[in-house]
Order: sequence, then C-alpha cells, then structure tokens
Amino acid sequence: MNTLDIELPKMTLLYGLSLLPVLLLWLIGLRLTKDIVISIVRMSIQLALVGIYLKMLFELNHPYLNGLWILMMLLVADITILKRAGLKVRYFALATFTAVASSILFSTAFLVVLVIQPTLYYDAHYIIPLAGMILGNCLQGNVIALERFYSVLRKNENEYATFLMLGATRWEAVRPYFKDAIKAAINPTIAGMGTMGLVSLPGMMTGQILGGSDPWLAVKYQIAIMICIFTSTTIACIINLKLSLNIAFNAFDILNDEVMAKR
Amino acid sequence: MLPLLRFDQVSVTVQQKSLLTNINLALYNGDKAVLCGKSGSGKSSVLRTLLGLHPVTSGTVFFQESALTPSTVQNIRSCSAFIGQEPILGADNVRQAMLLPFQFKSHRDRKPTEDQLIEVLNRLQLAATLLNQESSRISGGEKQRIALARGLLLGKKLYLLDEVTSALDTESKQAVFEVLSDPALTVLSVTHDPEWLERCSIIFQLEAGRLIQEKRNEYTGH
Repeated sequence: MNTLDIELPKMTLLYGLSLLPVLLLWLIGLRLTKDIVISIVRMSIQLALVGIYLKMLFELNHPYLNGLWILMMLLVADITILKRAGLKVRYFALATFTAVASSILFSTAFLVVLVIQPTLYYDAHYIIPLAGMILGNCLQGNVIALERFYSVLRKNENEYATFLMLGATRWEAVRPYFKDAIKAAINPTIAGMGTMGLVSLPGMMTGQILGGSDPWLAVKYQIAIMICIFTSTTIACIINLKLSLNIAFNAFDILNDEVMAKR
Repeated sequence: MLPLLRFDQVSVTVQQKSLLTNINLALYNGDKAVLCGKSGSGKSSVLRTLLGLHPVTSGTVFFQESALTPSTVQNIRSCSAFIGQEPILGADNVRQAMLLPFQFKSHRDRKPTEDQLIEVLNRLQLAATLLNQESSRISGGEKQRIALARGLLLGKKLYLLDEVTSALDTESKQAVFEVLSDPALTVLSVTHDPEWLERCSIIFQLEAGRLIQEKRNEYTGH
C-alpha cells in the first residue's frame, strides 16, 4: 500500500483547520493569534527545508554526507543540552559531545549493523531517522540529568560539604544526587515503555503503518527503537554526568560557580 | 612544640569580595580558641577556609605543618569535625545519621557497636531512644550534639564549632563543655557564649576580615 498524498488544496484545507482553535482561543480572551501564526509558519518552513535536504540526502545516499548530517545533529544537541541544563557551553561542550556521540553511535550501529542489517550500512533511509529518534530522546534525558544534578547539588551544598567533612570522597559525597539525577532522566523512558500501546500508539509505529508497513513489522521496529533509546539515554547520561564532575568542581572538591550559566 | 594549625598571611577573596585579609594565627594541640567579632567580620570564613571550602587567594594555611593543597585537604577534613548552628544529619533517622560516615571508604572498617553509639550519646546528655527517631523530628540542639557525637565516634581531634551552644540548655551545655575540655581535643569556635569564652585559652578578635587582637591565657604555656 502506498501512502496517499496530501495535495496542495488539501494542505490549504488543513491550515484552515487551525483557524478553529485560533477562534476558540480568541473567544475565551486568549490573544495568542500572533504566536500561533508565527509557530505554524516556522514549522512549515523548517520542515520544508528539512524535507528538501532529506530528499537530497536520500537520493545521494553518500556515507560522508550522511555522517555529516549526524555530526550536525550531535552538535546542535550538544549546545541545546547544555543551554537548557544551565551550564556554560564552553566548559562542558566536549564532555557532553563525547557522552552523547559515543552512546548514539554505539546504539545506532548496534541497531543497524547487528539487527536490521540493510545492504548498505550507511543507508540514509535507516541511519538518519533512527539516529535522529534516538538522539531526540537522549537529548531530553541529558537535559534532565544535568539540570537535576547541579540544581539539587547547589540547593544541598551544605549537605554535600557535610559528607566531605565526614570523610567522603567527592564521588561518595555526590553519589546520592548522581543516582537521583539518573533516575529522573531515565524514568520517562521507563514509564513510556511500560504504557506503550495502552495510552497511545507510538509515533514511529504510526508512521510506519501509515506508510503501508505490516503492523507486526512496525511493532518490531518500535520495540527495537525503544530499547535503543533506553540504552543510549542511560549510557549517555551516566558518561555525561561523570565527565562533568571533572569540570564542575575545583581541586578542593567545591562546586565552581564559574562554570554555571547565570540565570 | 609545633602548631596543629597555622594561618600564614592568609587572604581570601570570593567573587571580588574580600573575606579575610592577611590573617596570622596558630593553634596548638589541646587549645580551646574562640573567634570573636561582629557579624560579617570573617569568623565563619576562617573555619571555611581551613576546610578548603574557600580558596586561599594569598598566604598559606598549614595543618600539622603541611600546607593546605588539593592533595592534603582530605587529611584536614578527616581529622576535623565542623558543627554549625543547624548541622545536617544527612540521613532519615538518628542511627543512620550516626553510622553515615562509616559507609565511606575512609571509615568503613571502624563501624561502632551499638554500645559505643549509646555511650557517646549519653556523654552528651542524649538518650539511647533517640537512635530510632526521625531526623526531621530532632531539635537544633539535639542535632548539634548528634553531630558532635559523630565526630567523637570518628575519633576527630579538631572541632570547628559555629555558634554551637546557642541552642543548648544549661545541662546540655555543661555536657558539651565537659566533652570538649578533654586535653586531647583542639577546639576553634565561633561563639558569644560568656561561659565558653571564660573556659577558652585563646581569643581571636576579628574585624572586617582582619585579626585585630589575640588574647592568650597565660596558663596554656605556649
């Protein structure tokens, strides 16, 4: 089965549908029209550009070009994670990049080379969407892990200092906050896996079914991607947080305020 | 006799704010010293600097005659107990709080027995029943004494006390004085308590981060 096209008149009809919530919001006194229009226009332009680029990428299907696209995604993710976590990019960029890149490359390679095994391992049809999905989820996890760890540690600076005074090494003293941050980071993925299919149909599966795939095949891909997301998020968060400890503390094991972004 | 700890022209500036300027002081084994001065005069900063919580801008802090550096800070931290106005117990109940330091590698092989826990609590006028109490239900004064008890269990020799007697009743205060008067223990405290001031051998007067006066009782013999 081929997915049915949405032609231009139908797309226009679709944009027309968004007038309904705009009208409802306006009626209840929420003046969000400008924001909504800007968001819809931005979404359309950004996705159109990605569409053009992906079409080109899939046609050329060149290993270097595919690698470059993944590298770009990783760099954008790197900066996004640190900015959202409230850490200065110039101090942590390398640590976060190392953690995220190694875990993404490992899980994507595992999935493509050992599980899916396409004729071309670098096939853009597989590696681009798979790496993108894993990275998107990994990004969320890393933001939560870093943000949670450093905000809780700052809030409990005296408790941390007490642990040091009681003979704890830096690692022993931060361990309770470390465990708490990792738990917070991977909990959404664990909860997501636990309710998958009950609460909603996952996006990738829906996409494949709409694309004409057999539901059973879509289920297997969904399971594969979820396990890879869980694996890479856990690995990336642990490595990232561990590496960040060498940057965020001074030689006396005290948190260095200089590396935190001002809020 | 060599001093246990010594500040040699120590200045500390944190975020462009000068906390301590050119401090020279020395403390010998068994000394009971008090830091006096108005709020903001740098009393707590002396304690924090000693523990490596504030980086030294110039000068040197010596502990057992070795300079305070990232590689020696662990030594001073493991030899000293810092007890503030509202000490953090760091565990859900008192027993766990007392045993907390013995989970760390440095003390793992010295876990105290139940009898030792009770004995040290009793010395500080605390009942054994307190061991099963939740930390959130413990008063400020009890927390201070539990923190002190924890220091004693760890065999710490240097006690850095920040307004510790402020939350104690007369009886508990006497018990704390009694324990700290042990000649084997060295005490550096921040306090306004007249009774404690009387018992101390040295008074360091601070003003705006500078040491302006040092009064040493003659009988200490240093």
